[in-house]
Amino acid sequence: MSETEFKIVFTGPMGAGKTTAIGAISDEPPVSTDVTNTDRAAFDKAQTTAGLDYGRIALDDGVSVRLYGTPGQLRFRFMWDILGHNAAGVIVLIDASQRDALVQLDAFVDAFGGGKRMPIVVGIGRSGEPGALSLDAFAQRLESHGMTLPVFGVDVRRRDDVLLLVDTLLCLLELGDSGRRSA
Amino acid sequence: MTTSQRFGRVATGVAQKHLDAFAQTTPGVVSAVLLSADGFEVASLQVGKGGAARLAAMGSSLSAIGSAIAKEAGIVECNRMIIESDSGTIVIMTIAEARPPMSLAVIASDASMLGQLLWAAKNCCNAIARAFRE
Repeated sequence: MSETEFKIVFTGPMGAGKTTAIGAISDEPPVSTDVTNTDRAAFDKAQTTAGLDYGRIALDDGVSVRLYGTPGQLRFRFMWDILGHNAAGVIVLIDASQRDALVQLDAFVDAFGGGKRMPIVVGIGRSGEPGALSLDAFAQRLESHGMTLPVFGVDVRRRDDVLLLVDTLLCLLELGDSGRRSA
Repeated sequence: MTTSQRFGRVATGVAQKHLDAFAQTTPGVVSAVLLSADGFEVASLQVGKGGAARLAAMGSSLSAIGSAIAKEAGIVECNRMIIESDSGTIVIMTIAEARPPMSLAVIASDASMLGQLLWAAKNCCNAIARAFRE
């Protein structure tokens, strides 16, 4: 892998928008492994990711980023580990209108090392919807576990919103690198 | 929601019978799981509790990735995947005609013969597809 190429992983629960986020920014049509969703009780949508999503984006400064999306359901946990292997960083997407959004945040942040193994950026969707949790609630939840991670409100259909998450993650990587160099 | 509620009590019962018959008549079959495309166990054979659920999820991921690679390569659809090792074989066969779409994952020992295994598994898939079309 060249120094200017990064692998980052989009994760989060079913319906959080991982496939949509990768589709919003990928330079090429993303690889999708969507299949018929038979668990409409968990999330009412026709299709769900069973394998992975894959896309790629070239940024202005010569940096190339490979984008991988995980399935969201716990039964696919083994794919989180496979896709997380050798990742430079992780973007956790959470749907603020889901009842168990804070528990989901804990589960996904924890599964990817709580920010200790690799940098994590959190994107919160649908936070403006009636009854949804505020961004502060997510930041406070992380703080209560002793974590300070960047938390943004995003609409994963909007390219700029998703790019903000990717750019932030790349900044954290750069800071980590310079930290290691000066240590 | 239980498996039979999700996929239909009669159809899952029929599928289980087909799996049993498949294992009894095909040399080397160690275990098998009928799984939905989104990774739920529909019926299983000789797999410990928890093992079937895990195999169902892994089988659906492999099946979905196989389909994506086939599409990328322009060969339209992945019908089956074969994983071979010195001590055994795993076959994942797509049952596209079933509603909802399903796959059959079979684990066989080195006592199996690949051609016979594939032929018998295909027959089993055809019978299962009929059960889930009706």
